[in-house]
Amino acid sequence: MGGLTTRWSRIASLGAVVALVAGACGGSSATSAPPASTAPSTGASTAPSAAASTAPSASAAASGPKSGGTVYLLTQAQQFDQVDPQRAYTGEDMAFFQATIYRSLEAYTISPDNTKASQLTPDLATDLGTPSNGAKTWTFTLRDGVTFQDGSPITCADVKYGTSRTFATDVISGGPTYAIQYLDIPSNKDGSSQYPGPYKATAAQQALFDKAVTCSADNKTITFNLNQPVADFNYTVTLGFSPVPKAADTGESYGVAKPPVASGPYEVQSYQTGNGGKMILVRNPNWSQASDPYRHPYPDQWEVDFGLDPQVMDQRMIQSTGNDQTALMYGGIMPQDLATVFVDPNTAQPQYAGRVVNGYDPYARYIWINVQKITNQKIREAMAVALDRASYRKIAGGEFVGDLADGVIKPNLGMDYAPTNMWTTMFGQAIPDGGDPAFAKQLISQSGAAAPTLTFNYADTPTYGKIAAAVQASLQAAGFTVNLAPIPPGNYYSTVFDPKKAGDFGIGGWGADWPNASTVIPPLFTVKGGWDLSQANDPTFNTAVAAANAETDRPTQAKDWQALNTEAMQKVWAIPTLFGKASLIMGSGLATGTGANGGLYIWGPYGSNPYGDVYVK
Amino acid sequence: MVGRSLREIIWARLRRDRVAMICLVILVVYYLIGILGPVVAGILNDSPYTLHPDLISEMGGKPIAAYGGISAAHPLGVEWGTGRDILAQLLFGLRISLVISTVATLMTVVLGVVIGIVAGYSRGVTDNFLGRLMDLILAFPFLLIVMSLSGVLTQRLTQLGVPEGNASRILYLILVMSFFGWPYLARIVRGQVLSLREREFVEASVAMGAGRRRILFSEILPNLWAPILVYATLTLPNYIGLEAALSFLGVGVLPPDVTFGSMLANSVTYVNVVPTYLFIPGTALVILVVSFNLLGDSLRDALDPKGVH
Amino acid sequence: MVAYTIRRLLLMVALLFALTAAVFFLFNMLPGDPARLTCGKACSPSVIEANRHRLGYDQPILTQYGQFLGGIFFGRTFSSDSPQPIVCNAPCLGYSYSRHQQVLTMILNAAPVTFWLAVGAFVVWISISILLGIFAALNHGRWPDRLVMGISLVGYSLPSFFIGLLLIFFVILKFNWLPFPAYVSPFVNPVGFLKTMILPWIVLAFLNTAFYMRLTRNQVLETFHEDYVRTARAKGLPERTIVVKHALRAGLTPLVTAAGMDLAALLGGAVITESIFSLPGLGSLAVNSVLQSDLPLITGITLFSSTLIIFANLVVDLLYAFLDPRVTIA
Repeated sequence: MGGLTTRWSRIASLGAVVALVAGACGGSSATSAPPASTAPSTGASTAPSAAASTAPSASAAASGPKSGGTVYLLTQAQQFDQVDPQRAYTGEDMAFFQATIYRSLEAYTISPDNTKASQLTPDLATDLGTPSNGAKTWTFTLRDGVTFQDGSPITCADVKYGTSRTFATDVISGGPTYAIQYLDIPSNKDGSSQYPGPYKATAAQQALFDKAVTCSADNKTITFNLNQPVADFNYTVTLGFSPVPKAADTGESYGVAKPPVASGPYEVQSYQTGNGGKMILVRNPNWSQASDPYRHPYPDQWEVDFGLDPQVMDQRMIQSTGNDQTALMYGGIMPQDLATVFVDPNTAQPQYAGRVVNGYDPYARYIWINVQKITNQKIREAMAVALDRASYRKIAGGEFVGDLADGVIKPNLGMDYAPTNMWTTMFGQAIPDGGDPAFAKQLISQSGAAAPTLTFNYADTPTYGKIAAAVQASLQAAGFTVNLAPIPPGNYYSTVFDPKKAGDFGIGGWGADWPNASTVIPPLFTVKGGWDLSQANDPTFNTAVAAANAETDRPTQAKDWQALNTEAMQKVWAIPTLFGKASLIMGSGLATGTGANGGLYIWGPYGSNPYGDVYVK
Repeated sequence: MVGRSLREIIWARLRRDRVAMICLVILVVYYLIGILGPVVAGILNDSPYTLHPDLISEMGGKPIAAYGGISAAHPLGVEWGTGRDILAQLLFGLRISLVISTVATLMTVVLGVVIGIVAGYSRGVTDNFLGRLMDLILAFPFLLIVMSLSGVLTQRLTQLGVPEGNASRILYLILVMSFFGWPYLARIVRGQVLSLREREFVEASVAMGAGRRRILFSEILPNLWAPILVYATLTLPNYIGLEAALSFLGVGVLPPDVTFGSMLANSVTYVNVVPTYLFIPGTALVILVVSFNLLGDSLRDALDPKGVH
Repeated sequence: MVAYTIRRLLLMVALLFALTAAVFFLFNMLPGDPARLTCGKACSPSVIEANRHRLGYDQPILTQYGQFLGGIFFGRTFSSDSPQPIVCNAPCLGYSYSRHQQVLTMILNAAPVTFWLAVGAFVVWISISILLGIFAALNHGRWPDRLVMGISLVGYSLPSFFIGLLLIFFVILKFNWLPFPAYVSPFVNPVGFLKTMILPWIVLAFLNTAFYMRLTRNQVLETFHEDYVRTARAKGLPERTIVVKHALRAGLTPLVTAAGMDLAALLGGAVITESIFSLPGLGSLAVNSVLQSDLPLITGITLFSSTLIIFANLVVDLLYAFLDPRVTIA
């Protein structure tokens, strides 16, 4: 997941700087600097460097977590991409909202340990859900005493109504659409659902939905009937299945015009967008710890400050005086400030110990190659071989922004990851990180065609401008001619997804929606997946993907994904560049409940700040 | 003949003005460097396009040597992340900055003079129409329009056959600067023409049956060159600053090409860690612009018949 | 005079009309499919089509323009098929789907910031430039004159964002003399307001101060040579009286009119200054709208600020005609 928006914006802004980057969808705005996080990353992770928290100070842990105080959240964005629980799809946003105002059936465990964090904990539901009918039916029972902020109980009908909103794709746009993909509702010819959402549905159309999602007589048990076996559907319900009371729904403007109806421990007191805008969250008087053993809402209040200059934010966080002592920053530290706070990715400068951390964000970054335009595989191989990945990484910010990648499945996806050997043996010889122009020329001559003139797409930010120069230089060393075609950041993805406007290759990135490569390989390399920047549409591959999707034995499925990842790399539908990493910082007056010595960590599932775990010292 | 001796008087006045002469020398040097930049860079054995990954660290792409990577080979340091030589960038950047500002100034002057003369001489409906057109153009929030239209108009230029990339971006800058710049000059020229056409020598030409074109271009235009020259000298540095401002707002040339403006704009990110990125192109730009402004001032003084100021 | 005023008013209306048309058509050439922007991953062609319809982008451009104009005069309704359609009362400048807010509301929220910025800078530059300009004129040709003119020249030559960055670097980052800028309303926290605004005022005033200083000096010098000032001198009036009563009053009229126009331009948003200091005014709203390709917002702001300029133009012209009988009112 990763959420379109974020994915878009983040990726568009890898290491970017002053330039505001706008996400394509719904006009999200973006964070600056190096990727911090976003989408739930994945999980099962054995991730090497994941959350390598840096030697924290010993003092923090002594006192233990306590309640009270205000936590400030500084962001460059002009507003939240989305506040609507069905539309929020940015990892950082989802992590924040689920820790504060929204509850859903299941949630990810709060823990600095990636493996543990990627496991589910029941939230509104009493347990992790019950599959039946070969995982084509899933049932969840709601806890007793769960209420909205007005004190009214959260019922099955509310969860069901919230889920139904996703189908109104013209109004509730930009959010995750797994409900549409998995619920057992017939499709129209063009693939859209026959159920148009609650606003416009006729009685007959509503009946289709009511058949797919049913409530028990006591309104406490919800049953989802799926159109295919989904072995990990309980992960899916963390995405856009939150309850919304029908009476309060205002469609397009829900959550913005008026505060949304909170179910979590905080409610929205005010929300003003733009530079100088704020969102203030205060405690929800009708939330009770008894009904929510999952959360530990330590602070009394949250204040999100919008529209801050990324450089100013970095300086404020580093100096950490006044209110900034209890501040967190949306997005990461910019490359130029890394040396101030880090000795190396695993070690903080002594005075920042426990306050900064570098670890995996949810993204795998790559350069897509449009296979409809660059049809000759040898040419694509030559492009991959020629690319100077070492310079690419240095320009992006060095080892802090990621490890050199060998595929689109990231190591923190756990069992789905296996080395593809792309840079060692795949093309017959080892390819140095700096590229091998001589070997690339050889491949070009084997292709039987002349080295083509290529157009390279990237979001028009200073950092990408430099990266593009490195891409151009290294490919030209192998004999290609490369034209640079930057795109205004806000239009980047809407442009490159337009076959008429897309160039031959360009910058891309993707994060898994949950710890299964079923949320990576199909979106990236099948037309129906929705993120097929490479325009790959290979019938054999599609069939193999469908088979892997249907595989219910998880280890076998993992092997399938590994093979498909390798195959996609072999065909060079994309050149993997970085397994992205983020560098986060928190104020000196904050600590985390479960981090080592109360230090900051990256919360694996969303690659985010540990919103559910911070407290004011 | 009259014009010639006047020119001599003015030149003599300028020659006596030590500040003006210093500025003139500086400007000549700048233009020479602008023209010879690549040669100089060649002598220094570097180009602004060469990446030096070995000079930057994994620490966020920071140059390894102190003060932005200053070393014997790179006396002004290297660029963050890429290791490109700052001195070479400065030499090449000057050239693009000068091309943009000089061509834009020339176009502004041509447009402003022609339209100003036409408006001032024709009066009536034409004058009225041109006056309102100027009002309309001047009423546009310039920066906003330039920013928002840059994408689509650059594309249009590409479709019209201008090479993709910086060629079309530079042309776009030149076009918008002159498009939004001419009304100011046109107003000045129009005012001058209005008063000139009442003078005896013009009336005499009219009485002698001279054609309109002849009156406009042989009688009126030669009397306008002084204010035009001053205006041009003061507009050019304005455009250099404007290009910098537009770069700052994201409308400018793309890397690996640079201008003074884009170097300054890029330095913003690093102002806290490598201030030389800001000061080097900043100083170079300020010297250039101040020289132009001082020269323009001196010209104005030299051309002022009253000789007061 | 009345006829002149009416004529100018009519002309303004015509100009505004031409302006809306120019702005609307210019911006609708912008790239990016606005409907595609509103729709995320589930973007099947039918969804895009539905969104295009919902946003009115499936209409011919002239119809869209008509709707836009209609919205300004009579208001309009967006998303009429949603459970709670968005009613936008006249004067409706549009609705931003990325910010979920009416364009006019956003403009009105941002306007006070820009207002304070512009007015504060205006006070700074007018007072400093008049004082220094007169000072220079009185010391014409001596070193104070040269010094003032020199400073003005350098000030005039520095790009304003360069000055802004230098100030941020030294005043805030290096020496911590002022806190990081964070806008607060002057009515809520006057001290915080001043601390935030002082640097932006300086930056914004810088260029204009340089310009107006020269203007003042030259105007005053010129009036010194006018007959009535010479007469006053000959009468033996004290120098102060001459400067204040005669030279200044006559010399500053053009300065005031020019300042009026410049103030109006600033009220439409000081793009660079606001961006540098992250002030939530019209200028940074505009920049963000461009970066986010927020078409309705770009159109709205452009229209708003150009209307201000045209209106100020009218006021200045009328005032000028009123004050200076030499202007032909024909």
